[in-house]
Parts: sequence; C-alpha cells; structure tokens
Amino acid sequence: MPDNRIKEHPVLDFDRGKEIYFEFEGKKIKAYERETIASALYANGIHQFTESKKMHRPRGFFCAIGKCSSCIMKVNGIPHVRTCITPVEEGMKVERHSAQPEIPEIEPEPYPEPEEKEVEIAVVGGGPAGLSAAIVAAEFGGDVHLFDEGDSLGGQLVKQTHQFFGSHKAEAGTRGIDIGTDLLEKAKEMGVKIHHNATVLGYYPEMTLTVDAGGKLEIYHVKGIVYATGAIENYLAFENNDLPGIYGAGGVQTLMNEQGIIPGRKVLMVGSGNVGLIVSYQLLQAGVDVVEVVEAMPHIGGYQVHASKIRRAGVPINTRHTIVKAKGDYEVESAIIQELDEDWNPVPGTEREIECDIICIAVGLQPDNHFLRQAGCDIEFVRELGGFVPIRNKDMETTVEGIFVAGDAAGIEEATVAVLEGRLAGAAIIQRLYGTSEDTQKEKEKAREGIEQMRKGPYGQMPRRGVKVCTIDEEVC
Amino acid sequence: MTDSAGVVIIGGGVNGTGIAYHLAKKGYTDVIVLEKSYICSGASGRNGGGIRQQWSTKENIKLAIESTRMFEELQKELDTDLEFKQGGYLVLAFTEEEVEQFKKNVSIQNEMGLDSKFINPEEAKELVPELNISKVKGATFNETDGTIYPFKVVHGYAKAIKEMGIDVREHTEVLDIEKNGDEITAVKTNKGTIKTDTVVNAAGGWSKKVAEMLQVDLPNKPYRHEIMVTEPYAPFLDPMVISFHHGIYFSQSEHGNIVGGIGNPNETEGIEQRASLWFLKTMAKTLVEFVPRFKGMNMLRQWAGLYDTTPDAQPVLGPVPEVKRFYQVNGFSGHGFMVSPVVDKVTAELILGETPSMDISDLSITRFEDMDIEKEYSVVG
Repeated sequence: MPDNRIKEHPVLDFDRGKEIYFEFEGKKIKAYERETIASALYANGIHQFTESKKMHRPRGFFCAIGKCSSCIMKVNGIPHVRTCITPVEEGMKVERHSAQPEIPEIEPEPYPEPEEKEVEIAVVGGGPAGLSAAIVAAEFGGDVHLFDEGDSLGGQLVKQTHQFFGSHKAEAGTRGIDIGTDLLEKAKEMGVKIHHNATVLGYYPEMTLTVDAGGKLEIYHVKGIVYATGAIENYLAFENNDLPGIYGAGGVQTLMNEQGIIPGRKVLMVGSGNVGLIVSYQLLQAGVDVVEVVEAMPHIGGYQVHASKIRRAGVPINTRHTIVKAKGDYEVESAIIQELDEDWNPVPGTEREIECDIICIAVGLQPDNHFLRQAGCDIEFVRELGGFVPIRNKDMETTVEGIFVAGDAAGIEEATVAVLEGRLAGAAIIQRLYGTSEDTQKEKEKAREGIEQMRKGPYGQMPRRGVKVCTIDEEVC
Repeated sequence: MTDSAGVVIIGGGVNGTGIAYHLAKKGYTDVIVLEKSYICSGASGRNGGGIRQQWSTKENIKLAIESTRMFEELQKELDTDLEFKQGGYLVLAFTEEEVEQFKKNVSIQNEMGLDSKFINPEEAKELVPELNISKVKGATFNETDGTIYPFKVVHGYAKAIKEMGIDVREHTEVLDIEKNGDEITAVKTNKGTIKTDTVVNAAGGWSKKVAEMLQVDLPNKPYRHEIMVTEPYAPFLDPMVISFHHGIYFSQSEHGNIVGGIGNPNETEGIEQRASLWFLKTMAKTLVEFVPRFKGMNMLRQWAGLYDTTPDAQPVLGPVPEVKRFYQVNGFSGHGFMVSPVVDKVTAELILGETPSMDISDLSITRFEDMDIEKEYSVVG
C-alpha cells in the first residue's frame, strides 16, 4: 500500500499520534490515532468511499467536514457513518456499503431514555465564530457549552497556513492555524465546556437541543444559543463531476493541512477567489503540482497578493475559462477546460485537455443554517452573503429571541469578521440573559467597530451591501 | 396590477394543482393557481404518501377505490415514475372493540368491491416477519393499497398544467375575497387583485381562514401531525403497517427509508408546523415496540404538517349555500392525498357545470347543519 502522508512541510508539523491498525474490507491498514477513517484510507491510496444510489458510480469524499455524506461507510457493523469526521481506532472494521445496507443488529438492550440536562448557553460550532462567542460569554460569567461534530476544533482556521492581514490588529500577521489553536486554548482556560464529536441534531421549542454524542442521544434545555456552523462549499455542474478526485477546496485543505496527507500529484484548481488562490499556494507548499487555475469571471476573484504568489511559482491563472468535463473511469485522469465568451457560453474549438488527478472546486461557499430555519428564524436570500441567511439585529440576534448567529452561518465573509461577530454575539447573549453592563456594551462596540473596519476595504463592499438588507436596526438591550 | 381569471384556485398542493390539471385536460385553462409559499409546501409535501382503501364509511371507500385506480393511470398520463407501489396496507387491531369494528369494515369494504380480508396475528407476521405480534389481536389486509411519492405527483401536475397554459403563482398570498351579494367578484393577493367569479378553496389547514373571507363558516380545525424518515436500509417491509389504537403508521420507501408518523393525543388545535421532542421520543420508542429490529436504525429527519380535520373526519366538498361558485376541497382530516384524484376530477366537472361522474353531494358542507353525519373511524393519529 502506498503511504501518501506528508513527510516534510515548510510551515506545519504533523503530530499524528500513535501508529495503529484497522481493517478495511478484510485488509489490514496502517493509521495514526489522530487521523479520521477517511484520511487514513486516503493515505493508503483508497479514494472510493461510496457509490451513487441508482447508477452505482464510484464516489469519493467531497467536503471532508461532515456536511456532504459522500464518505459514509459501515464502521464496526454500523452503516451510514461519516468517516471524514470519525476518528480511526485500533482494530476498527471498515467497509463500503450499498445505498441500502442491512439494518445492523445491535445489542438487545431496552430502549435507553435520553439524558436530559439544563445548561445556560449552547454554542453550536467550534470554528472561529463559535469559539469567540464562547470565550466572551464565558468571560462575562456565562455557563457555556460548546458543541462541535468534529474530533478537533478550530473550524476552517486550523487548516489556514497563511498569515492573515486586514486592519484588525489582533489577527493581522498571524497564521490561521495559530489563531485557531489560541482560541481553543483560551476557551478551555475560560471554562467553556467543550463537547467533541457531538452533532447538534435539531432545535425544539422552546430552547431545547438534541445532540448525538457519539451515538448517544442527549437533550439540552438551554436559555440561549449562539449558532455558528459555518458554510458549505458550492458545487459545480459539469460532466462526470462526481468522480473521486473532484473535491471541495476546503476538503483538500482538511486532508492536506489538518491530516497531513497529500491529496494527489497534479491539481486543476477551479475558481480564483481567495480560497482557490490560497489552497493553490498551500498545495505548492505540500509539494503538489498545481497545473492551472481557471476562473469563469473576466478577472481574478481574490486578493492580488495571493494571486501573485502562485503566479511567481509558475502557475497560470486563466480567466474566462471553466471546466466542462472530467475524464476517467474510476478516478480523475484528466479534465477538459474551455474558454467562455462574454455571455458565459463556452467558445467552440477552445477545449483543452489537462492532465490531472485532482480537480479542486473553489467556487464559493453558502451559509449553513438549516438549524435556524428549523428553529423558525426568518430567513432571507441575500446574494451578497452567499445565499440564505437569517435576519438579525445589530447584536446578531435572529428573529427568535435568544438565538444568535455568527460567522459564515450568518453570511460568507472573512474569518476575522467571524471572530468579531462571535465576540459580538457572545457579549449580546450575556445581555439578553443577564442584562446590560458597561463591559458588555464596550465589548459589543469594539467588535462592531472591528467589523466596520473589515468591511471598509474594496472587498468589503459585497458583504456591506448584504448585511444592510438583512440587519434590523435594533439591539438586545 | 389587476388581472382576471375564470377560476382562481387557492392552494398549490395536490388538490389545487390536481383540479387545475383536470380543468386543463378538458380544455379549460383560464385558471390561476395561487400558493402563498411554494408548490407542495403544505400537507401535500409533508405526508407519508399512503394510499389506503380500507375505510369504514362508504363515501371514503368509494373515493379511495376510484382514486387508487386513477393514480395508476396518472403515472402513464404524466409519463413519470410516481413510485406508486402496491405493497398493501396491514391494519393492526389491538383491542376486542377494534376486532369487531375491523370485521364490520371488511364486510362493508367487500360489499363495495374491495378485496380486503380479516386475518389473525400469525398471518400478519407472515406478511411482516419482523413484526412483534405479542399484543396484536387481529388485522386487516388489502393488497392493492400502497404508497406513492407525493412530490412527484404534485410536481407532475404543476409541470403539466404550466405546459397546458395555466398560470401558477407561487409566493402569492390571498389577503381577501370580495363579493357583491352572493357573487364573488375578485381575489385580493399580496401581489395584486384578480377579478373572478369562481374560487376553489383547496388551502388545507388554512381553508377555514380562506372561507372566513366570504363569511362562510367551515367546521374545519387544523391540527399538527408529525412524521419522520430513517436512513435507507435494505428492503424488508412490503406493506404499510398502521394501528389506529397507537395512531401510528410506517412503510418503507423505494429508496429504503422507513417513513412513518404517530399522532399526539394531546395536540392542540392551531397552525403549528414545527417538530416536537415528544414526537421524536414517542415515535422512536413505539417503532421499536412494533418492530424490535428497528432499534438498529437511525432517524434522519422529522417534520410536521397540518391535518385539516372535520367533525366526521370526512372532507368538505362542492359548493356552499351562502356564496355562488365557491367550491370547497378541504377538511380531508389526514387522508386528502389518497382520495385526491377523484375529488379533483369531480370538482373540475362541477366547476364546468358538467354532470359529476361520481355523486359527492353527501360530503357537502350542508351535512353539518343537522349533524347528519357518520363518523369515519379508521383515522390514524
């Protein structure tokens, strides 16, 4: 079996933990205890995790953060396990299953009554927004429980090897990964109760959450909620777009920067927004060849500084180009790209075949806020923020009193804004539950000022327009 | 904006789009369908897709037999796979009273031409080998009952009527209906007024509110009913299994998911479509009691919709005495989808002044005046 783990990296050190062994369809596979099942399989050259329901086409992972269900497998006899967020364990038995697996036989125990608990503040999502909200709320004395469905926290920050910039002085010049780690440390220090591998399943009136805590149902009755579940990567329609080897740019980041696994040899990057550009650079850092970046728009979407970095490394960025087809029987072997005219139609005769084994889709994100919809919060489609977003007031409180939102779940913006929105929501939820103090008011104003600063630049125009549409001019207190 | 239509249908569910479909098939397309949200957003898109002919009243049996036949035809007409599966309905009896009632039901059903039968618990277990029959006293089974995929039916209708030239307006909410004496003159919406003399009230749980706009008092009351779907598993359950005693029903879809619901006896009247924790706990527990093997499954989603209930659990159909050309197609009490084909066809005939192919006058609103009603007992939840 090949070993596709990154041996050396200019920025990252991978602490993979102890070497362990598990079984995949009868074969013994080497893994490390901090890997997920999906990454351990990927490291061993196994890229097909599921098959499509009707046509039985091979499917690989896509998002690598538990949102797309393209990696569900049978683990120790239980089907439908999201292997991209399930840590691998010694002796585990993993296998692929069809769209309709047998109902697993489980121990003949009586139906367990779910455990019910009363806590004050629930924060859903352990990324920059959730962690920041939890820290601030805990600083002001709140009893804060933070739930994240992954094994490790930090959200998308822990895979950002680049240095942040922007006008907010706290984060400028620091690498995302360090910000993520610092936030996590700070949250622990402030006494935030952190629940790993805990998927918040749903909201029930009034203020009740159900949580899948490693296969066990737990019920939390809370007083307030900060909802910070981030975003989902957008997909793109083209022929064979479901072949293993076609991954979200964020998915590739997770595999590469968090799990330390080389995604492939040659990458075609689709999309030149900041994510596309940054991930291209990170791929180069990991020693992967980025063959080309294609961009459907007439200009590069992301910051010039990121584009220059990869151009200096010899990666061509072709604007007004898109992918029209992926080729390969079981995995990507090449891609066909084509030029677009002014009306976005492919120009006949401009097709070009690019040899690659990875096609990275970086065509934007959409807010992940299904839960808020279920909770009855008013939702509006705001193109500038990436899709459907909750209506909120100046304190990030939704139209359901006591439910706050922060970060990409509220609208796609920079990570710095997510941190600041988290801080704002963290202070505001304290005001909602315990009343206003000079300190909470100060914290809110500071956060709002920072957000304002972030939205002042040329790239802040879109979100600035967007939040205007969905923000009510009111405060909690 | 002021425009006009020969017929305005309120409600973009199975009946609203179905009536438009039957009107269009007869060549009448001067119709506007109004939906305050999106097509199939109400009970039509929230039910379990069951098609049952085993009822206790003659009216419901008659409607259901003809509708089942029509669903089969519809699949061909729309040239779409509606996932119509006739795996039968297994109706379980848990008390001696139920046994007696079920035997009575079967004899009426047989009289009406339905081939249902009363069976003992062991025979029920043969149909569903995983079934826990320890408390089952008997059952009825009819093999031509089954399930259909509601979204495909409603979207099939919607596509067909748009192609035939009918105007379907989503996100258009009816605010008021205007009349002059006993004649309708216009429908006022949030997007303008539509002149018309004919209105169909197919608004499901909102039907009472719509009727109030014309000072017509419907006895209908909306109640929340909840439902869930599990992750998909290998096929092992052919029939839909139901129990009136527990208020539960469940079946396995073509995709392998178990789809089912349970009624809450303490549910209060009102428009509430949020999911409840009571349902989550009760459904999980009861499902495992019925089929112990279910304990190895995961629930995927739960949601809720509205039953538009009437005092006799039968629909309100046809015109009303107070206002001319105001047709009711509501009050289905949880079984509107399965009887919709014939109801929609007959409603279209009534609107166009044709002789109805089935007499549905027994289901007119006037039956409640002297409370000359016979209650339908075979209602889930």
